Order: sequence, then C-alpha cells, then structure tokens
Amino acid sequence: MRYKILLSLFFSVVQIFLGLSQLQKHVLIFRPTFGNSEIHLNDAYYRIGTNDSIQLETVKLYVSNIEFLYKDSVVWKEKKSFHLLDVSDANSLTISLDIPVAIKYSYVAFNIGIDSTTNVSGALGGDLDPTKGMYWTWQSGYINVKIEGKSNICQTRNNEFQFHLGGYQNQDNALNKLFLRISGKNRISYIQIDVEKWLKSVDLSKQNHIMSPGQDAVLLSGKLIEMFTVTK
Amino acid sequence: MKRKKYILLSCMLFLCFSAFITIKTPLFRKPPNWPEPAYDFSKNPLSERKIQLGRILFYDPILSRNNTISCSSCHLQYTAFTHVDHALSHGIEDRIGTRNSPALVNLAWHKSFMWDGSINHLDMQALAPMSNPSEMDESIDKIVHKLQGTTLYPKLFYEAFDDSIITGEYVLKSIAQFMLTIVSANSKYDSVMRNQATFTLQENNGYILFKKHCAVCHTEPLFTNLQFENNGLEVDSTLKDYGRMLITNRSEDSITFKVPTLRNIEFSYPYMHDGRFKKLNDVLKHYTTGIHASKTLSKYLKDPIVLSSNDKVDLVTFLLTLTDKHFLFDPQYSYPRSVFYPDSKK
Repeated sequence: MRYKILLSLFFSVVQIFLGLSQLQKHVLIFRPTFGNSEIHLNDAYYRIGTNDSIQLETVKLYVSNIEFLYKDSVVWKEKKSFHLLDVSDANSLTISLDIPVAIKYSYVAFNIGIDSTTNVSGALGGDLDPTKGMYWTWQSGYINVKIEGKSNICQTRNNEFQFHLGGYQNQDNALNKLFLRISGKNRISYIQIDVEKWLKSVDLSKQNHIMSPGQDAVLLSGKLIEMFTVTK
Repeated sequence: MKRKKYILLSCMLFLCFSAFITIKTPLFRKPPNWPEPAYDFSKNPLSERKIQLGRILFYDPILSRNNTISCSSCHLQYTAFTHVDHALSHGIEDRIGTRNSPALVNLAWHKSFMWDGSINHLDMQALAPMSNPSEMDESIDKIVHKLQGTTLYPKLFYEAFDDSIITGEYVLKSIAQFMLTIVSANSKYDSVMRNQATFTLQENNGYILFKKHCAVCHTEPLFTNLQFENNGLEVDSTLKDYGRMLITNRSEDSITFKVPTLRNIEFSYPYMHDGRFKKLNDVLKHYTTGIHASKTLSKYLKDPIVLSSNDKVDLVTFLLTLTDKHFLFDPQYSYPRSVFYPDSKK
C-alpha cells in the first residue's frame, strides 16, 4: 500500500516536472484597425466626425515585458520581451510565446512602450536596434509609439499629423501597462488595436504633433490602452 | 620528490603566463587614484577588434550623408578631440551648429553627454551628430546600409562581432569602445600627483588658487564635477541657447550647461559652450569681472572671485600643466591610414 502511494507520488512529480519543462505555443495576433475596418497605410481614408478624412502613414508601437497572470499573480514572464509592432510589416504583428504546458493563466499583461531601465542601457539589438527608427537621436530615449498620417482638419504643411510618444524620466514617464483577459485554453489570442479610439481623444485641429517627451505625451499615452481589446 | 618539484614549477610557469596575459592586454586602464568609471563594461566588453573597428568608423566620412564629414572633422586628436578656431562647429556643407564641439576625453567616467546632457549613455552619443542636419545629416539605418555595401566593413564586423550582418547596435557599440579608450592622464599635473615630478613655484601657486576658486566645479582628477551649472554667461541674443532647460523643460535648468573638463585646455580653444572666448585670459576675465547674474547662477559664483594680475598668470601657468602631449600624439588614437590606404607606405 505504502509502496503504491509512493509510486503515484513519484509519477505526479514527474508529471509536474514534464509539464513545466514541456512547452506549448501561445500566439498573440494583433489586428490593427480603424473602427472595424482593416488599416491600409497611405491608401484608405477614414472618418471620425462628419467633416474629416484621415489617412494613416505610420503606426508603430512597442509591446514589451509580456506576462501571463492567474488569480492576480504572475505565473510566467517572457525573457528579453521587446516587440515592435509595425502595421506595414504583417510578420511583426504575431508574437509567438513558448509557455510550459502545466501553467494556468487567465490574463496577459504587457507594457505599451519601453521601460526606463532599458532606456538607459545603451545600444541594444533586435527590435530595440536604433535602426528601427524608434529612438530619438537628439535626446536619448525610445519612442514608444509612432502614429503619423494626414487629415484635412490639420492646418499644417500637407495636412500632416505626427505623434511620437515616449519619455521615461520622472514625471515625463509615458509608459503604460495593460491587462487583457484571455483564455488559456485557446492558445491563440486575437488582440484588436483600434487606432480610431485613440485618435478620438485627440483634437487634430488643435493638436497635430508631439515630437518629444513631456506632459502632452504622458496624457496622450495614457489613452493608448483604450485601443486594445481581445476579440474572438 | 622530483615530481612535486615539477608540479610546483609548472604551477609557477602557469601563474607567470597568466599574469603576462593580463598585463599585456589592458584595453582600458583606470589611472591610479581615479574613481571607478561610470560605463558598464560588462554590457559591452572591450576587444581589440571592436576598438579598432570603432576607430576606423570614427575617422570614416561614410557616416555622413554625402560622405564628407567624419567624427574627427570636429574632434581632432591634436587639439584634444575638439574643433579649434571655430566658436561654433561646422559640419556638412559648412552648415554651422549652435555650439562648440566638446572635447572627447575620459568619457568612461561620464553619465551624461553633450553640453545639455541630452544623451544618457555613451553608446547612444554618436547617434546625435550622425543625424543632426548641421553635422552629418544621416540616419543610422542608412549608415548601416552603406557600410554593408562596402568591401571593407562586413569583414571587420564579422571579425569583431562574429556577424557580418551589420546592425545599429554593433556600429554604436564599436564607436563607444574606441571613445572609451580615449583617456588622458599623463599630463605634468598627473606626474606631480604621482610624485614623479614637481610643480614650479608659479605652477604651485596657480594650483592653490585653482583649488580655492575653480575645483568645486572643475573637480580633480577629471576636472569636471559632471554637473550642470550656470557660469554667468549672458545668453547670446542670436543663439538664444538656454542649455539644459531645452531638454528638461525645468526653469531651474535655464542657462545651465555641463561643466567641461579642463584637461588639455591649452589646445581646446575657443572656450565655453558657444566658443565665445578665444583665450584663457578672456575666461579668467569673465570669472573675475564678467559674471552676469541671473536666477539660476551657480551658487559657487555668487561671491565674486578676486584675482590679482599675478594670480591670473599663475593660474594659467597651472592650467598649462594639464596638457598631455602623450595623449595628443598617441598613435593608438590616430587616423588609421593603413586601413583606408592599404597600399601607401607609412
């Protein structure tokens, strides 16, 4: 009898061990949209109000420090977790994660942007390489999010608007953390990024460019969270 | 017994050999009695090949949009790695910037870079002049593309990084490595501090005056406290340069600039962030009778500095002991002629 208990205990330990070492993919697929329409850069025109028309040229943003949570505690963290999502590059919109089979989770969390430690860590590679065009050259720091385009309501040269949102120091810290409820069973999550929701919080006739860290960048970065929803 | 001897002997040989290796390759040496460097070498470990690659990039105008301007255009070794004779440095197509180029020296000890501290890490420093429209006017991705298309660089990057696909990270890290090795610590002043030489009476008097009036900002051994100060210069009405405030948006940073080093000051003229003073005498005149009081004036300059004309001569005599001839002519920092002109004779 005792022998049997020991044996079953042994097997369950082995099972847990296998579950922790065995990996399974969980894929995050980001779908950038304007309202419910797909985004076509430099091509399609979108409308928020009745008298405007908006064309998008650049939508790039960093997703970093991806974590999975279960009952309010972090159960898994991606190492070196920095991903540049670029609407012009479809491959960049899929993030494939290797997660131990045994781990249960119900939330995914990540930063929109780059944390302050990484911002002061010197030259980095991969998606953080400064050749990706997401680093300020005249003042050190990553650009968390770039949204650029044209709108007839912008009284600017070529009706352009340019938002380079970033900043990591003290009161200028523009980093935001986001929690999204996901199903651990599906192993694939579709996350919509609705740029319209963010653009609605900007009055393009008055505010059409942010190119440096500061209070405006912090304020508008706080609204980025609203763009993200998990869809089926 | 004999065997024991052998073991002992081979151990000693091994120790000697390993000591020899560590002595032979000091790619970066902290001068004695200097503070620990601020740069985290563990994230970018020095190697001879990376340093040499950085040196070649430093001297190569390929970094600029039209291949005419290199880092060394404004940072010349013989003039303490700065741009002499020009109050404001000029870059591509003779475009003139708004500041005097800083001297590149002892950068491993700095935590921020540029007159306004806009750059937070030595690795990222080179990005600023590369993309500034009046300096090199080129973007890092185009630079990487140009380098990749040469016959020289993919090989050099492969040798340095085990990777012939060039990245922005590699470019910046190798330039940083070269800049880290630019250390000046062999002036007469340094010899005196190491008890290998003595000051003349005049130099010594100058040193006493220096410690009394200047050292609080120009702190030894770097001759800068690495802080930002308003040193009483009136804002130039054509440049309207408010220094660090333009970066931090804080009013208390108005008209503050990073305290520059005084090492090799004999060769780094003209002086101040906008190069407004050509001679050291002009600088001393400013600090004694020219201070322009404003809200953010350095607390160290609130009381007037009084120097007799003899004092001024002595102080300048001391400042000249900060000249490091060995540094200014050290071939390890010089133009890598054999790389750019492999067929030419030395």
